[in-house]
Amino acid sequence: MTSPPPPASRVPPWRNIRFLRILGQVLAVVLAFLVLRWLAGNLTGNLDRLNMGLDFGFLSRPTQFQIPYRPSFDPRSPVTSMVLVGVLNTFLAGFFGILIALALGLVVGVSRLSANWLVAKLATVYVEFFRNIPPLVIIIFFAAALFTYGPFPNLREAILVGLPGSDSKLLILSNDQWGIPGFTGGRNWVAFAVILGVGFVLAVVVWAWRTSVNDRTGKPHHRLAWFLGVLTGIAIIGYLALGGPFSMSWPAQSENRRLIVGGFAMNWGFMSLTAALGLYTASHVGEIVRGSILAVPRGQNEASSALALSGFQRYRFVVLPQALRIAIPPIINQCLNLVKNTSLGTAVAYAEITALTQTSIGNGRPALQSIVVMMVVYLAFSLTISLLLNVVNRRLQLVTR
Amino acid sequence: MTVATPPPPSTGLSGAAWIRAKLFPNIWSGILTVVLVPILLYLVYRTALFVFVNADWEAVERNLTLFMQGTFPRDQQWRLVAQIFLFALALGVGAGTASATARDRALQAGLAYRPRTLGSVLRRFWSLIAFVLILLYFASTVTPWLVVLGAVALAIIGLQSYRLPTSFRLYGWLLMALLLVAGFQVVSGTTGRAWLVMAMVVGVGAWSLTESSRIAPGWGTWALKTVAVVVSTIVVFLVYSVVTVPGVGWDKWSGLHLTLWVSALAIVLSFPIGLFLALARRSTLPALRWLATTYIELIRGVPLISLLFLGQYVLGFMLPAGTTLSSISRAIAAMTLFTAAYVAEIVRGGLQSLPVGQIEAGQALGLSTPSVMRLIVLPQALRAVIPAMVGQFISLFKDSSLLSIIAILEFLGVRSLIHAQPDFRVTAHAETLVFVAVGYWAFAYAMSRESQRLEGRLRVGYG
Repeated sequence: MTSPPPPASRVPPWRNIRFLRILGQVLAVVLAFLVLRWLAGNLTGNLDRLNMGLDFGFLSRPTQFQIPYRPSFDPRSPVTSMVLVGVLNTFLAGFFGILIALALGLVVGVSRLSANWLVAKLATVYVEFFRNIPPLVIIIFFAAALFTYGPFPNLREAILVGLPGSDSKLLILSNDQWGIPGFTGGRNWVAFAVILGVGFVLAVVVWAWRTSVNDRTGKPHHRLAWFLGVLTGIAIIGYLALGGPFSMSWPAQSENRRLIVGGFAMNWGFMSLTAALGLYTASHVGEIVRGSILAVPRGQNEASSALALSGFQRYRFVVLPQALRIAIPPIINQCLNLVKNTSLGTAVAYAEITALTQTSIGNGRPALQSIVVMMVVYLAFSLTISLLLNVVNRRLQLVTR
Repeated sequence: MTVATPPPPSTGLSGAAWIRAKLFPNIWSGILTVVLVPILLYLVYRTALFVFVNADWEAVERNLTLFMQGTFPRDQQWRLVAQIFLFALALGVGAGTASATARDRALQAGLAYRPRTLGSVLRRFWSLIAFVLILLYFASTVTPWLVVLGAVALAIIGLQSYRLPTSFRLYGWLLMALLLVAGFQVVSGTTGRAWLVMAMVVGVGAWSLTESSRIAPGWGTWALKTVAVVVSTIVVFLVYSVVTVPGVGWDKWSGLHLTLWVSALAIVLSFPIGLFLALARRSTLPALRWLATTYIELIRGVPLISLLFLGQYVLGFMLPAGTTLSSISRAIAAMTLFTAAYVAEIVRGGLQSLPVGQIEAGQALGLSTPSVMRLIVLPQALRAVIPAMVGQFISLFKDSSLLSIIAILEFLGVRSLIHAQPDFRVTAHAETLVFVAVGYWAFAYAMSRESQRLEGRLRVGYG
């Protein structure tokens, strides 16, 4: 006679953790789906009643308005090319803004730790001043106080600073646009850009080679000198071989004196935006730099003094490498913020993607789709910078056992 | 036998020695000082010249009311005054209760407690006090003086809560919350769903009061708590259905008043969403984690202005036909959804900073997951993120200036009204901007100082 098998102990579903986990997830997904569907349902219903679509066909229709300070732009060209102009302008403002922010931020951050009382106090005042004012106020202040109602004459009577001994102008200052010398690409500039790219890759390879030589033999690597030497050499050879792929271009007033042609022309919106964002972000970068230098343990400083390193050597080989490891991730985050803040250019009519999107919506383009395109552009910028951040983070991570 | 102790060596440097040590420590530093001093003097001279001689402050002087309250109906101005008074009282009660709590704790721990002095308060909030003085300087009538004096007097009266015995601390906090809600509703009115907000505050109060009462734990307490909350809610509802005072909704607010409220509302409303998102992102359920991560990263990848555009141009279409939302409500919604993503990341940082041993200890005590969350994780994690939350609030406060881009007349936006006046169409742009900048700066600076102070205090482990 065999005893009956023990009854399988079944956990009731409301106490079964596996069941509960699945239930929780299903509920979350269903809830999110229902909310989205409700919003989308309302949206399509409302748009249908107004005979508006949800398609992106508008992207290939004409832009229908002139982009300021870009006479070469044809209003009949499709919205996609308007978006490209916006992306380019966003990139330009972000790029120059980041340059200003990094350079100034480094100076401010190091100055805050200066032994000189005056320098340290000035840097502190700078930081406390700029980081507590909304960037938009700074941008509008530059636009109003420096340009629109500022001291400069209008472009017809612009201040011209000539290059001695020639007709060319070094500098054109007005309340509308500033012109500085720039480069203009000749026939072969694409080829030259390709050569520069190849040269850069080669220089990186040489850098890696010098590093490995240093690792193997202990000989000095002189990486930077090799890197720059290779790059400059290739650039010079390419320039000569292509017979001058670019030339200097000097700024000049156009025929009707309404625009600056040639050189590197900056309009008031661009200048207010980059200067303001640069100054604003520099205050944050400065704080990061200061914090990271302070975060390097004192013992490191003392140890390098004990090794009889000079002040420069101490900074170059001991303090800065460790401080940068801490500083670079938050600094990249600040750069990301700066790029997102270029969207404030819309307040000073600088033709970046936000301003163009706003104008475009005002011209009757579908709002939702236009904003989606704009968000995708910013997401692309953010994603690129985050990827960069991840790469840097991985390289900077301390290698431990 | 006494040993003659020499006086402690003075740490301060005398004038000449100080200058040598701090301004000319070495040759390069000395050169820098020599170069910087004239530049600095010139800058100070130019600034002073602008502020005291060249600037025409008439645009600010004549439009002070516009800056403060914007287009708020002038015949309803008493509501704003009442709000300021109620808030001053709430502030006093809150500060008094907080100091008293700190004193109680210090006494319990056997530490010496140094009460706050007037000087320390002035040092902490000097930027705000300076801003108020600037406002009073520009004031053309006696009313602002009376308002400020009344607010100070009420704050001092509120501070007397410091003298209450220890068992009254809870009442202090509840009184503060009640005064804050009352201050809000004296402007917004008590019609519509206003009773819900008050019911929440009173409900939480009734809950905590029954919690502190001496009743044996168990179902009895739960029943009592539930009854207390339900009864208080019904009472509030009844009171509000009798006392219906129509108010001025936030659709009609503007100026600095709106700026402050928009930031406060957005941070308060975004907190529960952010908390939920943070918990979801840390959850072990993949679907929940993915949803939260997608939301947070999407929002953090786009600028605030794009969300404001969405709110302005698209949100109306996403609601059932016939629903109308004012542009301020839509902007608050956009700012709340935006801030929630950032709050979530802050809270996640707080959750991650908690040692895992805390959770394990809770589990070892046999607590369920929700109880571990409620009793162990959240109290510590949320305390740790207070400074970062203040930082987020500052950034939200600064970001509220973006509302001027979508034609909402907040502190920066009212400039468009002023410069539409015939007298100031092309003049005084710099002056109004400087005034606005000083206003933003005073608030943001005071808050950032407070956040640094909190950070320091939390690091020491009490406060």
